[in-house]
Amino acid sequence: MADSDTLTKTRTDTSLEVPWNVVVHDDPVNLMGYVTWVFMKIFGYDEKKAATLMLQVHQLGRSLVWTGQREKAEFYVQQLQSHQLKSTLEKAA
Amino acid sequence: MIDADDPGDWQLLKGITTDAVACDEKLARRLGNLIAEEPMARDWKEYVIPDLEAEFSADVLHVATSIAAARVESGGGPGPLWITGDDAFHWYSALNQARLALEEQFHFGPSQVIDPGELPPLRRAAFLRSHFYCAIQSLLLEHVLR
Repeated sequence: MADSDTLTKTRTDTSLEVPWNVVVHDDPVNLMGYVTWVFMKIFGYDEKKAATLMLQVHQLGRSLVWTGQREKAEFYVQQLQSHQLKSTLEKAA
Repeated sequence: MIDADDPGDWQLLKGITTDAVACDEKLARRLGNLIAEEPMARDWKEYVIPDLEAEFSADVLHVATSIAAARVESGGGPGPLWITGDDAFHWYSALNQARLALEEQFHFGPSQVIDPGELPPLRRAAFLRSHFYCAIQSLLLEHVLR
């Protein structure tokens, strides 16, 4: 019987290893209490941390709310946009 | 519970769903297009934006159906409109879509600095509707969502 002819190809995708930032941007519509609630719901942050990040969005125009692997960052951005928050991702410095 | 006192109130409530879909560029696209870097932008356009569109549309439809049913139940006159815990996020979403669409069209900015009395009629009507929707959202947030 012949050896298995399954070929295993290993691909190193360095972009998956580089951490990515999830960023939320300010807008004049979304309520502060709602933004805090969304952060608690999506990321599991306690209210204090969620409120701190919300205030950064409100006062600075944007906040870095999570950093990590790209795939997870994409998921979080989808979730944030699903909750109607302006959200993007960018490679961590 | 929202109490509609007359046909005008029902019309005002119906305005939520009318306003939510009034913008030329839909909310899903406005949010999704923030992802500009390729190849992510391509994936977002193909997969995420359609999902957002479906989700947001479903919320608006849910609210439109609830309002229509409650209006029929009341015969178009005074009557209650109940928002349950299960319904709350659909309502919040539809109201938010309406406010975001009005903001996109009229660019009010932070509402604390606006005197509605100084706005032209069309803009004033839009601003007051947005303010009304915001009040319902605040109640949902305080008493149901959180």
